[in-house]
Order: sequence, then structure tokens, then C-alpha cells
Amino acid sequence: MNPELILGFIILLAGVAASAFPRERDYISRLIHVEIAGTGLMLVMLAYDETIAILTFVAVTAIATIVLIRVIERGEPCD
Amino acid sequence: MIPLYDAAMIPVYICGIVALYAVIRIVTEKKTLKKLVFLNVMNFAITGLIVLSIPDIMALFAGIAYFVGSTLEANAIASTYAGGKTNE
Amino acid sequence: MNEFYIIILGLIAVLGVISVYIKKSPFDKLIGLAIMMGGVIPLIVLKGYLDVAILVAIIMPLTTIFILQATGRNTDES
Repeated sequence: MNPELILGFIILLAGVAASAFPRERDYISRLIHVEIAGTGLMLVMLAYDETIAILTFVAVTAIATIVLIRVIERGEPCD
Repeated sequence: MIPLYDAAMIPVYICGIVALYAVIRIVTEKKTLKKLVFLNVMNFAITGLIVLSIPDIMALFAGIAYFVGSTLEANAIASTYAGGKTNE
Repeated sequence: MNEFYIIILGLIAVLGVISVYIKKSPFDKLIGLAIMMGGVIPLIVLKGYLDVAILVAIIMPLTTIFILQATGRNTDES
């Protein structure tokens, strides 16, 4: 099989598991773990031959992270 | 399948071993400011691996973009960490 | 040649993920994120997508700087 596909699935599963059960229960830690899962999904999409899809996915992930940072700064801290 | 000794592969081996050593030093380090020094070492080694990987002229531009971006990132982390401690 | 690259870069990326999960400070988590990106970007170059690699290398510090705005706000609150 493709080595990028195997590494991408490993990173995607680790990111999703770490984002579901984080050690520190605050928003920033959880957001960084979501970033790991996005990188793993980008590595999975690299195994197929779609360049425009990868470009759009990376750009939209960055914009979504900026929007989520704005939301976290405004809201009150969680428990 | 890999030839054990090849004269053209020695820079690639050196860059890979330096990168792996820097990553192991980062993971097993306690203080954050000592961690950032080895992060810069890893950035140099990874830039070498990018440039030596494929014989294409666009790989040079990818190496330049990665070097500028990662150096900016490491210095931004260091600046925020040190500035937060001194202003308080 | 190709196997050496795959082994070294896969090991670096997995060590970065483990380092993000273990450490508790947000600065250490961002350093782990930088390690993981350093393992992922040469894999993109090795596959042949140079424009994707340039775009990811430009966008990666931008995201980190925007996360640092939220973490740095907590330290100097006064």
C-alpha cells in the first residue's frame, strides 16, 4: 500500500482520539488537537490525485481556525 | 535493496540523523526555551532534506518557503513566551 | 533512497503527535505541532505536489500566530 495513506490514517485516528479525550479540558488544547486531525486528513487526501481539492481544503482549514480563535476569545472560559 | 554505502547519499543520511536527534532532544526536554533551540536545528535539517529530495527547480522555492515560515513560527513562539514572562 | 526518507519522516511525524498529546502547556503543544508539520511537508514534496507544499509552508505559521494570540492573552491579563 501507499506509505502516505497508512501514516495519514494513523495521524487522523490519533488526532480524533486526542480531540475527543484531551488531558487539559480547555478550548485551546482541543483546538490544537483538531489541527492534528486536519493534517492527517490532508495526508490521506494526498494519496489520490486531486490537486485542487487539497489546495481548497488547506485554505478553508486555516480560515476555519481563525474564525474559531475569534469565537474562543469572545466567549467565557469553560469549567 | 538500499545500498549501504553510496557517496551521493551521505548528505541525506547526515540531514536525517541530525533531524531525528533534534526531535528526540525536543521530546525529552523539560524547559521550553531550551526546546526552541533544538526546534531551529530541526528546521535546518528538514530544509536540507526538502532541497536534496527531488531534482527539480521548484523544490528550491519550496525549501525557501518552508525555511522562512518555520523560522518565523519559532521566533513568534519564543517572542510570545518571553514577553509574557517579562511584562508581568 | 525513498525508504530512508519514508522511515525518518514517518518517525518524526509520529513523535510530534505523541509530543502534542503528552505536554500540558500550550507553548509545548505548539512546538509539537511544528515538529509534526516538519515531518509532513517533505512527504508532500516527495510525492510531487510542489505548489501544495509551498501553500502549506506559507499557511502553517499564520495559523500558529493566530493561536498564539489566544494563548498570550491569558498570561498578561493585567
